[in-house]
Amino acid sequence: MDHRYAPVQRIIGILLMGFSLSHLIPLAVSLVLADGVAYAYLEALWITLTTGLLLWCTARRTRRDLKVRDGFLITVLLWAVMSIFGAVPLYVTDVGWDSYTDALFESTSGLTTTGATVIASGLDRLPPSLNYYRVQLHWLGGMGIIVLAVAVLPMLGVGGMQLYRAETPGPIKNEKLTPRIAETARLLWAVYVALTLLCALAYRLCGMSSFDALCHAMSTIATGGFSTHDASIGHYQSGLLEWVVMLFMLLATVNFSVHFLVWRTRDPRRYLADAEVRTCLAIVLGFALVVCLPLAWSGLYDHPLTAIRSGLFHVISYGTTTGFATANPTHWPHYLPITLILAGFVVGCAGSTSGGVKVIRVLLFAKQAAREVRLLAHPRSLSPIKVDGRRVPEPVVHAVGGFFSIYIASTLVLTCVMIATGLEPLTAFSAVAASINNMGPGLGEVNAAMNTVSPVGKWVLIVTMLLGRLEIFSVLVLLTPSFWRR
Amino acid sequence: MPLVDAKRHRIHRFAAVQRVIGVLLMIFSVTMLPPVAVSHFYDNAVEHAFLTAMLVTLSSGALLWWPVRNGRSELKIRDGFLVVVLFWVVLGVYGAIPFYIAPRPEVTIAQAVFESISGLTTTGATVLVGIEHLPEGIRYYRQQLQWLGGMGIVVLAVAILPMLGIGGMQLYKAETPGPVKDNKLTPRIVETARALWIIYFGLTVSCAVAYQWAGMSWFDAIGHSFSTVAIGGFSTYDASMGHFNSTLIEGIAVIFMILAAANFSLHFAAWRARSFSVYRLDPEFRAFILTLAGLSVVASALLFGSQHMDFGESLITGLFQVVSYGTTTGYTTADITHWPSFLPAMLLLASFIGGCAHSTAGGMKVVRVMLVFKQGIREVVRLIHPSAEIPVKLGNKVVSREVVQAVWGFTSIYMGFFVLLLIAMLATGLDLVTAFAAVAACINNLGPGLGEVSSNFAGMNDVALWIGTYAMLLGRLELFPLLVLMTPYFWRR
Repeated sequence: MDHRYAPVQRIIGILLMGFSLSHLIPLAVSLVLADGVAYAYLEALWITLTTGLLLWCTARRTRRDLKVRDGFLITVLLWAVMSIFGAVPLYVTDVGWDSYTDALFESTSGLTTTGATVIASGLDRLPPSLNYYRVQLHWLGGMGIIVLAVAVLPMLGVGGMQLYRAETPGPIKNEKLTPRIAETARLLWAVYVALTLLCALAYRLCGMSSFDALCHAMSTIATGGFSTHDASIGHYQSGLLEWVVMLFMLLATVNFSVHFLVWRTRDPRRYLADAEVRTCLAIVLGFALVVCLPLAWSGLYDHPLTAIRSGLFHVISYGTTTGFATANPTHWPHYLPITLILAGFVVGCAGSTSGGVKVIRVLLFAKQAAREVRLLAHPRSLSPIKVDGRRVPEPVVHAVGGFFSIYIASTLVLTCVMIATGLEPLTAFSAVAASINNMGPGLGEVNAAMNTVSPVGKWVLIVTMLLGRLEIFSVLVLLTPSFWRR
Repeated sequence: MPLVDAKRHRIHRFAAVQRVIGVLLMIFSVTMLPPVAVSHFYDNAVEHAFLTAMLVTLSSGALLWWPVRNGRSELKIRDGFLVVVLFWVVLGVYGAIPFYIAPRPEVTIAQAVFESISGLTTTGATVLVGIEHLPEGIRYYRQQLQWLGGMGIVVLAVAILPMLGIGGMQLYKAETPGPVKDNKLTPRIVETARALWIIYFGLTVSCAVAYQWAGMSWFDAIGHSFSTVAIGGFSTYDASMGHFNSTLIEGIAVIFMILAAANFSLHFAAWRARSFSVYRLDPEFRAFILTLAGLSVVASALLFGSQHMDFGESLITGLFQVVSYGTTTGYTTADITHWPSFLPAMLLLASFIGGCAHSTAGGMKVVRVMLVFKQGIREVVRLIHPSAEIPVKLGNKVVSREVVQAVWGFTSIYMGFFVLLLIAMLATGLDLVTAFAAVAACINNLGPGLGEVSSNFAGMNDVALWIGTYAMLLGRLELFPLLVLMTPYFWRR
């Protein structure tokens, strides 16, 4: 059984087996708290384990090496297959997910760190272990994403990300896929775990229960957005907590390679030395100004400072594509709701768990646009585009252009599809933006939960979440005939 | 003396621009004569308004022209940006005078300028209601503004923008009809303009005759032929083309809208070669027709499936609206706001694609959308074959890297400005659908939007109107001339 995709099959088998073991933790939580859904994890565990075992067994003897090109297939399959199996515990328990579509939506939303839920109300009454399982999906998804974003996408060269190829921490000598990724992953996960623990500790000190603190920390660092409460962070009514959440959301949206660098050099100034981080902060500041001022003016909040805090919280939460909330911005005045949705496109940095177009692409795009205008006034001045004083190769600039147009076109087409499933235009757009940017909350009826979306619409959104998470191109590549040719 | 020197220097530098604008204003003032005649012929109601406007325009033009009439400085290519922007802004402002001083309609300054710029940019968004009850002079003048705007646009699109190299339009530099040897702006443009205006005029005459044959009065036929060939969309009735309720007229309008949205260089080539094969061989025209056909099928099918229209009616209504929105003309036979499913959104999005380059149509232009699309596909293929050199092709010609880059720069700036203007519109208090539609209708030079602005902009506040005016200019001038003027590089020598 040594077919062409045997190494891919072996990897997926191993990953599934690994994934199945992750069910042990919610199983333990369930047993300790005696919330009565332990059977679900057991069931999911053996289903996932046997499937993984079968896949691995039949391909374990292959002597082929993984090629760089196989990375596309693994990336897409990994998220798709894990989402399918991650839905099992949600489906077999009988507490909130009536159909497999709902369960799959929740599981995909978890693993892509989107954070859109189909549970409209009753998160607080859910068995605690299920709430833990949901954020664990986020956290595992986040682990996958930083490796994807820091190591895999640059290697595959998706949408200009080859820019980071040289910067990836870990040994670079090797052209083979596996050893290098393993090394990178180890380093990044150390940062990831450390940040999560730090975040949980901070939340605990701000007054959350230990369980909630851990859950929200996992959700924050994955920029996911699942919460254990229907009211999300608004449940705690604590100003201090909101500021802490804002800080950690911002940290989670920074490129993990930069975190790694700061950690190794023990020099926090490294954050500001990075052009992408600086631009990200500038964009957040810009959005904050545009959102907070009218909000303070509008009189929705008693005190202008409360308004500013709330405005800033939502700018950061929507921008970093986390999706926590303390209010429903649908009824904020004027352009504020749509601005928050747009923030989801442009605030996340590359190499982090956040979604959207990514700041570095926005930056390159703006520089390219400025260069075009300059070129008109001076047709013969061909200046290269530079980031952090280093010259960006032209193919990268081109790839970013292609990425942009495909991203925008996908958003528009998917919005039309969602309108066809019966949503209002604005709701449809916000639902697509919330999914493709892996943000979570939309506007109107899809703000707190997506339970009112039709089953077809949910399937469209499931695909949209995967598209956005895998940066579209990885999925599109699989649709071209030349990929399947030898 | 260095200060005085610098001053003389500057006056000198823009003298040529000033002269051109002065001459254009004087010519423009003469175009107030036909409305005077029309007004005289009908009811004499607004004659004095046009005569006053003519006098003001003529004297301003003369004043501008007189001090620099003897200047020997030639227009340079870079001055083109300034001329192009001033042409639309200055004529737009002077064109607003008759609306403002005529006793009917009663409009604010913002509304008058909006109406005038909407005419000259061939957008077709109007602030007037009860158009059929306005004096004939005004009704005729609006149509004529569009026609004149169209004349300007044809030259702008075919001769000036490629020369300035805007948004990848250097692609067409070599193809511009007329002598190419010369690098000076004026003689070449004059030659090109003459050829194009003959085509433009021919199209207008045949369109007017066809409309009249199909049952319009001569007044309506000429008025609508003006706004059809200019891809404008102004009508002499509130109900637009729906007023006539005639399938024949709608069919004729569809044909002429498509002709007017096709590349005028193609018309020129077809005319010279006496052959229609150039249309068939042009990749942009093919893509344009295919897009319209595809969208029409979708629209007709959805209309037929969900509403109370019979097959024939849904077919012609779907086709008419798709062509009207897709070419950015903006005639309507129905209020599309309440059309089923995603049709309203689809029609608005179609206007972003717009017509072909080198036409009077607005939007981003088919050729740019094609190139962006091909560039996207190329990037996907390049992921599989990282080291392969894959050229982007149009037909069987390879498109240069610079053009592709300029095109996606253009599209992304277009999108960026769209979002900024949308947010500005929302800040004036419009609801999202209306604001989205209003900005799209203006920046694509389309005309009608959705919701509150589905047939006119009468209910809009003044701030929103100014934003709309800016958007129309931005879209019509293909963004870059306005942007270039805002960079310090332009003003430096």
